Order: sequence, then structure tokens, then C-alpha cells
Amino acid sequence: MTDGKPARSGRRLMDYYWERLRKNRLSIIGLGFVVFLSLLGIFGPIFAPDPQKTDFQTKNLPPMGFSIEESVYEISTGESITTVVWGNLDHPLGTDSKGRDMLAMLISGARISLLVGLLATGIAIFLGTLIGVLSAYSGGWVDNILMRFTDIMMTFPFFLLLVMIVFIFGPSLAIIVLVIGLTGWTGAARLIRSETLSIRTRDFVTASKALGASDARIMFRHLIPNVSSLIIVMATLSIPGVIMAEAALSFIGLGDPMSTSWGTILNTGQHSLDTAWWVAVEPGIMLFLTVLSFNFFGDGLRDAFDPKASI
Amino acid sequence: MRSYIIKRLIYSVIIAWGIMTVTFVLLRLGPTSPVDRYILNIAARGQDVESVRQAIEARYGLDKPVIEQYFTYMGNLLQGNWGWSFSTSQTVVDLIASHWIYSFQLILLATIFAIVLGVGLGMLAAVKQNTKIDYAASIFSFIGISIPGFWLGLMLIMVFAVYLGWFKTYYDTSYPIWSLENIKQLLLPVLALGIGELAGYLRYTRSAMLDNLRKDFVTTARAKGLPEKTVIGKHVLRNAVLPLVTIIMFDLGSVVFGGAYLTEIVFGIPGLGQVSFNAIFANDYAVVVAVTLIGTFLVLFINLATDLIYTYLDPRIRYD
Repeated sequence: MTDGKPARSGRRLMDYYWERLRKNRLSIIGLGFVVFLSLLGIFGPIFAPDPQKTDFQTKNLPPMGFSIEESVYEISTGESITTVVWGNLDHPLGTDSKGRDMLAMLISGARISLLVGLLATGIAIFLGTLIGVLSAYSGGWVDNILMRFTDIMMTFPFFLLLVMIVFIFGPSLAIIVLVIGLTGWTGAARLIRSETLSIRTRDFVTASKALGASDARIMFRHLIPNVSSLIIVMATLSIPGVIMAEAALSFIGLGDPMSTSWGTILNTGQHSLDTAWWVAVEPGIMLFLTVLSFNFFGDGLRDAFDPKASI
Repeated sequence: MRSYIIKRLIYSVIIAWGIMTVTFVLLRLGPTSPVDRYILNIAARGQDVESVRQAIEARYGLDKPVIEQYFTYMGNLLQGNWGWSFSTSQTVVDLIASHWIYSFQLILLATIFAIVLGVGLGMLAAVKQNTKIDYAASIFSFIGISIPGFWLGLMLIMVFAVYLGWFKTYYDTSYPIWSLENIKQLLLPVLALGIGELAGYLRYTRSAMLDNLRKDFVTTARAKGLPEKTVIGKHVLRNAVLPLVTIIMFDLGSVVFGGAYLTEIVFGIPGLGQVSFNAIFANDYAVVVAVTLIGTFLVLFINLATDLIYTYLDPRIRYD
């Protein structure tokens, strides 16, 4: 403590938050799954086969340990023969109606979901922070215009706006990331604005103003660091919404046609509910677990950062 | 109070103008103009593309300067001239008029279902705080918030319609809207759409009830010997539920409309979501834009209505 370096006290603060976070078991489970998913998304595609590779010899293969009855019409005898087909180790999670490997597709989907989730949330939170802090710090007509614009953007139902813009600009991963990022900042802007408004009146801000600090310095060195825990919590809790939005767009056919995401698999799966249930079940479970994990983790983070929350 | 209402009305008009302007800008920024989309269909039929393009551009005023187009666009919207749906060969207004009821019934039933069960279970969880019931409710709400509604819909169809055969796998439009058969076939869609809403309301009601239970006026009410039923039902619940009105309204735009859009597609309900979905693949841009605009104006109108209703519901709110 004698050296009094701020870096050390920052370190100790992190340790303190981590201690609090660790006590929330669900939150750690959530974090664990997110880490697992990230590893899967980053390294999985190196080992997995090509998710777009079709093979009609092995289509509609059930996952390992499951079987389906398949009727084959035999031309030579004119009878249909029912055979039992078991899943095998070549395709541990089965194949879809075009013989694509489900495991490979799910891994590809994990990569897309995380990529879109992180990038779009990054853009949205960056914009939200900028607009929120600028609005609160400037006040006056800047605040007025920015907040009215926020109100306008907030009135659009989020998913309907997404559908319209992706329809106008054409579906691609870059467009989807940009559109979600550029439309998803409104909630963050409002929250950060109200938080900044209360910090702006504190003594240390007045003090640094008296010392001649520039507006930019006050915003970036004093205001934004003080709302950083709020930013982190908000980012974590908005990722699941973004992932669901991307899945929903892909599900209705407005996803990137060049890539395999969980929504795209669900889209194929909905047509084979009676013959190949796993195609619709597996990506949905992944989506559900991912969203659940981020929600658990985000909730834990919020409590860990909140000095009033009892843990 | 009257000046507040007037101010609120003027403000809504400004937002409405903003909504239309943002939409116009988006349409102009798009890489393919509405004409191009239409021309794709013409070209597919082997007609002369260039002459058709000029004819359409002249007809829709797209050869005029942008600022003039902007005013024409706004004028058309205000006069209820929302465009022509070439994939269904009728005006967009007619198309919407014949389909809105399917979306409306779905959203209405799902919201009622979510409010009744959400508030009920939330109350129960709060009153029985830290018991098994409370934990079960909390796990249920976490699952409900995290489960993608459109996937839940698929799973419900798979289990209850495909495998068990209790329901039809498609939506039957031959039943009258307000008939028992129709309500029955809406059971699964309402469940798929409502579960997320329900979970949200449950969570909110529980925490709002717990907040209010700690307040002094509750202690006073108990101290003066009121039965627990009255304390919970009148003093706590009323205070806890009032802000729920705002949350329900906010949910409509942020979750419910999008959820209904997807639910309609999954279950084949011919509401506005389905209409917009079909229009996307027919490149029928006027319909896609109209459905989004209608949803947006509805949110705007509902926000305004909520604010005005609040002035009666909560006399504590002050206006300046």
C-alpha cells in the first residue's frame, strides 16, 4: 500500500468483484458455458468437417444412441421394407435432410452467434455510451436533440425494424451486425444518460472542472470510468437478445446465405419435424443454453457490482 | 394537466414525423431502389426493362428531386395511400385490413395469459419468499426469459401436433375468429408467444411486491389489524402493479410484436407478420415497410394512451 499505485488498487477491486461473483454459483456455471462456447467457436471449425458439405447417402441420420424407422420402396419386388437406422460415430449428433453433419453445423453456428453477439453489442454499447454521456454532460439543445432521436428510434419495434432494414439492404453477416448495432443502442443511451446525470453533479467533477480539465477529459477520464460497471452489465445482458435476434432473422430466411447459423439450421429443421426431430431440437437447445448462460452470468455481474446487493 | 395533454400530443406528432423520416431515409439509402425490385419481376417475364423502369419511375415520381419525393411520400402516408402490393394485387391498406385481426387476437390472448399468470405467480412467489415455491418460480422465470419463443413454438408443434396429434399442424382459417375451435387452435401459439412475457411479468411483480412489503405503510396496515389478505391485495399489490402498465406497454414494442411476427410464421397464422414474411420473398417492398410502420405507429399510440391513462390512475404524478 505504501507505493500507492492506482494499478494495484484497481487489481484489488477486481479481486473483490471476483470474490462476490464467485459466490453466485449459477453465474459461474453461465460463465463456464460461455467460455466453453467461445472455445468451440474459435477452435471447433479447425477440427470439424465442412458444415455445408452435403451427402445424400447419409441424410436424416439420427444422433448417436437414437434410431428411426425408415421405409424404403424396393423397385424390384414392389414392396416397401422398413429398416431401423441407428445413429453412428461418424455423425455423433446426426445429419439433416441434405446429409450435412449436425455437429459441424452447430459448431459453425456457435461461431456466428458469438461473433454477431459480441460485435453488434460492442457497436450498440459504444454508441449508447457516447450518446448517453454526451447528452447528459452537454445538456441543453444537444441533450434535447439526442434524446428525441432516441425516442424516435425506441418507438420502432426492434425486430420489425430489423426485418425492414435487412430486407432493404440485403442479408449478409456484416449488414446484420451493423443493423443490430446501429439500432440497439437506445436503451443503453438512456440508462447511461441518467446514471451520468447523477455523477455529473458530484464534487470530484466540479473539482476537476475547477482545475481546468477539458470537457473531453472529464467525459473520458471521470464520467465514463464511473459508469463502466453499468456498461459491462448492460453489455452482458444485451448479448442474449442480439443472439436471439440473429437466430430469428436466419430462421425466417433473412440470415447470411453463405454461413450456417443456428437459425438457419432451425429453418431446415422445421420442415422435418416428423422425420428428423433432432435437426430442430439441437440448435434450439444450444440457443437456449447460450441465452440462459449469458442471463445467469449478467445477473451475477450486476449483483457483484452492486454494493447494496447482499450476496 | 390540460397543458400536459396538449404537450404530449404535440410531442407524439413530432415522433411520428421522425418515424416517417427515418423510414424514408432508410428506403433512399438502400442499395436497390423499390423500382429495381419491381423490375426484377418484370425482367423475369421477359419484358423490356428500360422502358418499364422509366414508366414506373415517372408513375411513382422517382425521377423527381429527393426533396420533392420526400414530400410526396409524407403526403401519401398521411392520406392513407400506403402503396400497392403487386404480389397480392391489392392496395396495402386493403391487405392489412383483411389480416390485422389474426395478429390482434394472438397478441391479445397471449398478453392476457401472461398478465394473469405472471402477476399471480409473482405475487405467490413474493408472499412465499425463500420457499420452494419461490425458487421454482425463479427458475421458471429464468427459463421463460431465455427460451426463444419461435423455437418453443416448433417444439410444441412437434410434441403436441406431430407426435401426440392433439392439435392440427396448421392454422385453420375456416373457423370464425371468436369461436371456441379458434381459441383452441390458438392455445399453442399463445403459449409460445406468452411464456417470455409471463416470465418477465412474474419477475417484475415478485420484486415489486417485495419492495413494497418492506414499506412503512404496510407495517402500519398490519399494525392496525387489517387482515393479511387486505394488506397484500390492496396495499401491496396496487402499488406494485401500477408500474407494470408501463412495462407491458414497453414490452409490446420490444418483444411482443417481434415475437408475434415469428409465432405467426411458425404456426402459419395469417396475421401481419405472415403477410410481411410473404412479402419479403415476393420482393413486395411496400408491404414490408407498411407492416413495420404500422407496428411503430401502434407503439407510439399506445405510449401516448398509457401516459394519458396514468394521469387518472396515479394522482401522485405531477406535471409541469
